[in-house]
Amino acid sequence: MKNRFSLIAAVAIVVLFAACSKSSTTPVVVPSYSSTQTLTVNFSTATPYAFFGFKDSSLVANTDSATAKWDFGLRFTTFLVNSNASGPGNAGVIMQDGVFANLTSAPATGYAYDTTSTKLAIKDGSWYDYNPLSHAFVPKAGKVFFFRSADGTHYAKMQLLAVDYLPFTGPTPVKLSYKFQYVYQPSGSTNF
Amino acid sequence: MVSFTKIALSFVCHITLLQHCLTKPWQFTELIGEILHHRNQMKKNQYILFCFFNLLFLQINAQTRVFKDTLNGSSEEVVVTANRSERKMGNVAVPTSLINKNTITKTGSLQLQNILSEQTGIVIVNSALGTSLNGYPNPFGQGVQMLGLDPAYTAILLDGEPLVGRNAGILKLGRIATGNIKQVEIVKGPSSSLYGSEAMAGVINIITEMPVKETLGLQLHNASNNTWGGTINYANKFNKTGVQFFLNRLSSDGYDLDPNVYGKTVDPSREWNGHLKITQEISNKLQLLVSLRNYDARQDNNYQIYYQNLPAIVSGYTTEKDQSAFTQLKYNVSPTSKIYFRGFYDRYSNESFVNLVSSGLRFDETSFVQSVLKPEVQYEKNRVGKSQYVAGFGANFEMIDASRYAGKQQLTTGYAFTQKEWYLMQQKLTLIAGVRLDKRNDFAMHASPRIAVAYKPNSQWKFTASAGLGFKAPDFRHMYLNFYNAQIGYSLLGTSILWPELQKMQKEGLLAAGADISPYANQQELKPETSLGVHLGAKYTGKKLIAEWGIFRDDIKNLIDVYALPFTRSNGLPIYSYQNINSVFTEGAEMDLKYRLTSHWSISGGYQFLLAKDKQVLQNIDQGLLYKRDPVTLQSSLVSRQDYYGLANRSKNTANFKLLYEDNQHGWDTYFRAVYRGQFGFMDKNGNNIIDNPSEMTEGYWMLNIAASKSIGQALRVQIGAENLLNYTNPIQLPNIPGRTYFININYNINQPTKHKSNKL
Repeated sequence: MKNRFSLIAAVAIVVLFAACSKSSTTPVVVPSYSSTQTLTVNFSTATPYAFFGFKDSSLVANTDSATAKWDFGLRFTTFLVNSNASGPGNAGVIMQDGVFANLTSAPATGYAYDTTSTKLAIKDGSWYDYNPLSHAFVPKAGKVFFFRSADGTHYAKMQLLAVDYLPFTGPTPVKLSYKFQYVYQPSGSTNF
Repeated sequence: MVSFTKIALSFVCHITLLQHCLTKPWQFTELIGEILHHRNQMKKNQYILFCFFNLLFLQINAQTRVFKDTLNGSSEEVVVTANRSERKMGNVAVPTSLINKNTITKTGSLQLQNILSEQTGIVIVNSALGTSLNGYPNPFGQGVQMLGLDPAYTAILLDGEPLVGRNAGILKLGRIATGNIKQVEIVKGPSSSLYGSEAMAGVINIITEMPVKETLGLQLHNASNNTWGGTINYANKFNKTGVQFFLNRLSSDGYDLDPNVYGKTVDPSREWNGHLKITQEISNKLQLLVSLRNYDARQDNNYQIYYQNLPAIVSGYTTEKDQSAFTQLKYNVSPTSKIYFRGFYDRYSNESFVNLVSSGLRFDETSFVQSVLKPEVQYEKNRVGKSQYVAGFGANFEMIDASRYAGKQQLTTGYAFTQKEWYLMQQKLTLIAGVRLDKRNDFAMHASPRIAVAYKPNSQWKFTASAGLGFKAPDFRHMYLNFYNAQIGYSLLGTSILWPELQKMQKEGLLAAGADISPYANQQELKPETSLGVHLGAKYTGKKLIAEWGIFRDDIKNLIDVYALPFTRSNGLPIYSYQNINSVFTEGAEMDLKYRLTSHWSISGGYQFLLAKDKQVLQNIDQGLLYKRDPVTLQSSLVSRQDYYGLANRSKNTANFKLLYEDNQHGWDTYFRAVYRGQFGFMDKNGNNIIDNPSEMTEGYWMLNIAASKSIGQALRVQIGAENLLNYTNPIQLPNIPGRTYFININYNINQPTKHKSNKL
């Protein structure tokens, strides 16, 4: 039912836009999609990754790890980007310093891939400070990730807001909770 | 009491002005602007009041000169640390302060750190590492922060000789008993020109009593937390031989600040402290001094760990031993010159273990032994009223052998120093120039010069200026530490063992796959940390009022700090090592006022304003490279200079206030002290590794202590007191502070050498 409803909605939107474009000559600005998400990630390096897709704003099942449905994966503090060594996709990433809201367009080129399993696009330790006092992995302030999606044609900007331990009993934590914010541009434009 | 109020108000005004002026002490034009701005901010009538109190203060200053009342002239006290030879306190040109036996006795405290913390400009701080062990015993203890520098940068001397056995840079002050201290001398500012490495921020020299005549002192101490102390102090002089014997035992049940965490915050402990001194006049030209010390402490360890992923209780204990022997031969070459031959040996050991209570299996054990052997020759020449000269040479043979270090390590340092002091303009002007050379086996020669000037236009005023270079050589831990934290899983490796250890770890598969260790094959050796310190001071000594002002600035280069390697262990956790990274500065101002109200009442107060910042951080802020995350919205924005509070663990404002009542006729005295430590940065929480948000701070707090004593007859004195009257506690960030405690001291002294001398605050 839900699918049918969204199909109807999509058709309606297309019709609406089609109608609009007839009456106006200026190019259509497709609104980008903003969201804040929390992703629960395994702590142990012997456990599966959590995969995330920007387009559907959802967790992607592990059975789909060999598809282009996901854009990035996370386990402990290791990011995978759906490319070369990590997946069949054509995703890439660029890390930039700046204020999230002020960075309004993604770079056209220069996206990094996961070249090999030990040479990943996002270097471990590049985006956080480990605090040996509190054992916290504090995301560095002012770091913005620009992603090219796994289909190679869409762009998103993302920033990490917080990384917390989920409550655990025993000596080692089991899960980390990643809170992040992103803007996805469904039109394929690099502007947000 | 009227003048008391005046002084107090005026004091507050002065603090405001001082603090405001010194926000930017090096930019004169801005300083003027600040003052004008300050005036504009105040309402007009407030400003008039402000001026009024400042005038009033000067008025009181002027008045006091007329009074004939006596205030024990602290300028006549003799100190040895500032120039490595005896000087009258009033004549020293470098910033020096003194705590005498009388003051120590009046506080009733058996803790050296409590006594030091009541001094202006001295803050007792925790090792930042200590707090990582929430619920676990903190093995690092507390140390002295002077001029805003960490405890590792202040030399702690006992009778002029440096003690060894620092843990993470901190020398446990509890190793030094207070019962036989004659005086504590504190020299602020780079003192490497006389004392070498470690004396970058300054020197604290604890001087113990010398046998003068027959005395016997007994003390029984009882305090909260089932604390018991017993002291015997005996001295005698037989013809040409002097003997001084001191023995102290202290035990405590410790305390628990957080019942939700298993185990006590501070576990039960007991310690013995013995000191024997023998002096012998061999001839009228030759004097021998032998000093033997033994410290033996044992503290329980009892806490919860995880064993095979299940909580388990471990228990055991830590044994600390500190034994030193000192021999000095003093040869009076002529009435104006003498030579000292000295030999000092100190050995510190710390052995710790815990067993699993359930099975008795050894869970963890560590050991640490450090020793130093230090032969030295010193020459002094005094041309009365013209000049004084001091020079010497010696060597340090240091050894360390510890479970956390890669094997037994040795370092040898040879050194020589020379200093001359000239008295000019009818002795109104004192000029000092000195330099020390240090050559450690693994470093190039290092020179530390110092110059100082003192100008005394009259008997009331003294103006001083001093500048010096300080240095601190990388210590054993920076070079040889080989530490793997089994609880958390990270590694910390000294620079000298980094390459071989990385190779070993890679071979054993302990490094993350693909780690490139090759850049560490020819890693640069650590350089010594160096500093340039400048101090300007003024001192007024009146009949009733003694006032002292000072401003200081210290620039430190090549500060050694921990950094994370770009790859991790196979468990994903970091590997740390040491690097010369930072350039920091500390600057500030301090003020001390002592005022005799009546023949019975005296008050004093002190204040320090301090700024301590990292130069790289300031540069990054200026270039717009440093961001902060708002703790509520979690959004990032640029950090401004105003946001940056400064280095962690430093309080901008510290102050103390003391009130002494003394009635020698009836044998009463009461000593009240209030010590304030202003807010300080604790740890970064918002992703930029600097302190820039209130959530990263520890709030300021007051320690209020009081002691009162009454002499009964000739020999007996009973003292009662309370420490931390406000019952301030902070279990996580300041676990070293117990709540409110009470104590009673019963003293029995026969032929007391200093019996209720006049007050010195």
